[in-house]
Amino acid sequence: MTHPFPSEEWVSAYGEAVNASASYRDAGAKWTHGPVCLVVKAEEAINLPADTGVWLDLHQGVCRAARVVDAETAQQAPFVITGEYARWKQVIRKELDPIKGMMQGKLKLRGSLPIIVRFVRAANELVNCATRVPTRFLDE
Amino acid sequence: MTAPYDPALAFVHWAPTKIVYGNGSVREAALEVEALGGSRAFIVTDTDLASKTDLPERARLALGPRYAGTFSEVEPESAMVIVERGAEAARSAGADCLVSVGGGSAMDTAKAIAILLTLGGTLREHEGYHFLDRSVTPHLAIPTTAGTGSEVTIFAVIRDEERGGKMHLADNHLAPEVAILDPELTLGLPPALTAGTGMDVLTHAIEALQSPMRQPVADALALHAVRLVARHLARAVEAGDDLAARGQMLLASTLAGLAFSNAQVGLVHALAHTVGPRYRIHHGTANALFLPHVIRFNAEQPEVAERYRAVAEALGMEAGPSPGEAARAVAEGCEALARRVALPRRLGTLGVPREALAELAELTLADGAVVYNPRPIADAREVLPLWEAAF
Repeated sequence: MTHPFPSEEWVSAYGEAVNASASYRDAGAKWTHGPVCLVVKAEEAINLPADTGVWLDLHQGVCRAARVVDAETAQQAPFVITGEYARWKQVIRKELDPIKGMMQGKLKLRGSLPIIVRFVRAANELVNCATRVPTRFLDE
Repeated sequence: MTAPYDPALAFVHWAPTKIVYGNGSVREAALEVEALGGSRAFIVTDTDLASKTDLPERARLALGPRYAGTFSEVEPESAMVIVERGAEAARSAGADCLVSVGGGSAMDTAKAIAILLTLGGTLREHEGYHFLDRSVTPHLAIPTTAGTGSEVTIFAVIRDEERGGKMHLADNHLAPEVAILDPELTLGLPPALTAGTGMDVLTHAIEALQSPMRQPVADALALHAVRLVARHLARAVEAGDDLAARGQMLLASTLAGLAFSNAQVGLVHALAHTVGPRYRIHHGTANALFLPHVIRFNAEQPEVAERYRAVAEALGMEAGPSPGEAARAVAEGCEALARRVALPRRLGTLGVPREALAELAELTLADGAVVYNPRPIADAREVLPLWEAAF
């Protein structure tokens, strides 16, 4: 069964995938910098009428909570990474490295880049976890 | 010849800055401000420049009735509090255009002030990468050093006193609209600073050429920057009043800036960013010190080593047919140039204690430039030998 991205089901399955990953547990063990919110920009054409946040409460290698949030709530996270739907699709398919994407302007980061780059391996593991979620993209 | 590109090469080259070059071109400032739609141009400059030179005054005279005021409190490695004070001064003066006069600190401070003038709030609220969704206050940059290339880059680095590090800002909207390159304004730069900033240019160019983001447009710019540094840096240091050499170095700085603004920089910068603020080592001097060591480190990967051949040619170095020989020639060429311009060669002589090296190696991994090193780095243990070699 596939889950539409983004949706509550997808985010919930993603949180479970993160917590099932020994690699992420190891790579993110020193992450104590607070939640990260991934914001998918609104796109009417694929029935995504408003910006949608994927809130990940990450702490020391564990995802303590994963939920969908609105745009306003998303901005409360200390790290907010924003991109168009097509960009997140590239990330989930491992066609776009998220850290390089931020540095190239394909994804927008609000927050401290030096902190993020210290966790390159954790970021890659988070992407690996996303690839394990059976995903249905809204534009397909 | 540059090394072959990936057949699936795809890139965007972003270079929106209008470049005005020539001796005396600072006098074009008023016309350029007018073309930007500005009527109240506000100068951002550094304390030393304002108190010891007439360079900000030349800019003020050039602006004529469009001059709205000056903020001259920028220090080397400008801090957030200075940016916020500068923004307040610019706001009070009714500024609608910023004119930075100085080196990287003045230009980066003006970029950060432009954000606050447009968006309000504190700089902390705007920390990020590619975070702006609209243009900010127009910025005309007038560099008085030939080093950072900040006059054409999308980057600004501001000292973060609260966290004890640096805040890195990057956004396409931060590239100045206009850069006025007037070689006459660089004539007074002392030899040591000319040398350090010149080696900064060389490092920008070489790292851009090795970056995983390398692409033909940036490569062409970077290679020409290497040629210009090889031909003119020593002369600019040894005969500071040689206007031709100064002009060529100013161009080299801008070309390298255009290259690395698109292709990024790598491990040399990560090392220099880590040690510079902590031990007050000039950024270009630190780059010069690490550059040969990083070249040898990167060249241990054959596919990376081959990329140094074009650099060796641009430096005018003879290199044998193997990739390792090209990289070795480049490392030796960089060392020889740094020696010629009398830059320090060892970290230990610059106040860095040996017992700090392990911690510095850890901190290196937190610098964004690490991501763009051609040889991937995942662990501090991989860079510790570089710190020891440079010590």
